[in-house]
Amino acid sequence: MNVTAKDVMTPRFHTLAAEMTVSDAVRSFKEATESEGRKIFGMLVTDSSGRMVGMLSMYDILLFIQPKHVRIWGGMDDVDIVGLVDDACHRAGTILVGDIMTTEVISITPDTHLMAVLDIMIKKHIRRIPVVDDDRIAGIVYISDLFYHLVEKMM
Amino acid sequence: MGIIQKNTILSELTVWEAMRRQIISLPPEANLAAAINRLIKFKVNAVLVADEEACMGVVSKADIMGAYYAGLPIDLQVSDIMVSPPLFCRMTDTLETVLEQMRHHAVHRLYVRGGGDGAVGVIAYPDIVGILYQYCHECRYSRSRRTDKGGDDPILRFRVKEVMAASVYSHGADEPLFQLMEGLSEYRMGAVLITDDRGAPVGVVSKTDLVLAYKHGRDPGAPARAIMTSPVRSCGEAEYLETAIRKLIFSQIHRIFVFEDDPSRITGVLSLSDAARVRSGSCHACVSSRITVGLPV
Repeated sequence: MNVTAKDVMTPRFHTLAAEMTVSDAVRSFKEATESEGRKIFGMLVTDSSGRMVGMLSMYDILLFIQPKHVRIWGGMDDVDIVGLVDDACHRAGTILVGDIMTTEVISITPDTHLMAVLDIMIKKHIRRIPVVDDDRIAGIVYISDLFYHLVEKMM
Repeated sequence: MGIIQKNTILSELTVWEAMRRQIISLPPEANLAAAINRLIKFKVNAVLVADEEACMGVVSKADIMGAYYAGLPIDLQVSDIMVSPPLFCRMTDTLETVLEQMRHHAVHRLYVRGGGDGAVGVIAYPDIVGILYQYCHECRYSRSRRTDKGGDDPILRFRVKEVMAASVYSHGADEPLFQLMEGLSEYRMGAVLITDDRGAPVGVVSKTDLVLAYKHGRDPGAPARAIMTSPVRSCGEAEYLETAIRKLIFSQIHRIFVFEDDPSRITGVLSLSDAARVRSGSCHACVSSRITVGLPV
């Protein structure tokens, strides 16, 4: 049987707008996590016509919070970590999602073979891949869904 | 007659010890919006333009600000505005040599050449000041290591006033962004102080603010107050250089404005490049003790 992306993808997904501030995006992550009942680690970014323009992951947000001269922090025992977080929160009010999102997003189609999806996830170290059908977002394949789909027969 | 050779900490440290291994690059066909995304996301001041075969050029915040000023479209390719070729140093070069090379070429960063043609790292003023700060922090003369904090300090330590630039360039809060860009470009500065009608500091506009304004589609005729960052980060002239460097590094800023007694009267500015030029993170001890007299070669 030819199992493809559409057999494991989640048709429900949450999106962000590129014009949202990073602060608003963080709130959206929290809301999406609560509504889905599972932690959301990345969200698609769309334009006004619903076309995908990027993806914002927790990694992108953590990169934003991370101190610029992080190597120096390692040896410092007298640095105010609270001040650092306050500073990041202040900046998050002016930096937009589009300023820090990942724009080179790998996508698949609903007909992409499951083994090809698995191959992309392993080789590219990605945990979620948007499924795009004729310029329209059809869903997302999460690595956890792919994992449980594949190992079901082993249990 | 002997020659006086001034050895500093930076004569003993190499690029390998201070460089960053992560190089932020883009292919030549990437557009300026993608370049700004990289600059903001990775908190760098320039991106390397490279294809699979060679390092072709560098696009800095200054270059992108120039494109904003000139009204160029943001979907322009980075190869259209990049400065070429990128400048390189070697991993084995001393930081003293690198500082001299940066000064000579009037650049703020050098890429590091590995065994082949590609870049294996990058080094800029913050990396050099950062390693100086670490060095001073670990030094036995460090203020943080003094046990007798209440007694007289036997070490002559640098104060901000000795290192800062005593002239401050400022603009009014209602002046348009294009005028700020003209000033930043003419004086080769990274940021400008914004003042109110009475000359009191109310904000700062940096090149970062300007490239973001470009990406967000803001009119270059908009007033400075629309994008300025406030409050103004400042310190006293009498503050220890070490403390000011610490503020710069850990607040992730490139410059701090300086006042004598009254914070509403700015008298100077201290940048990371000024701090790097004194070759010491905190005191005269490591500078003066390393001046050696050698025989002419």
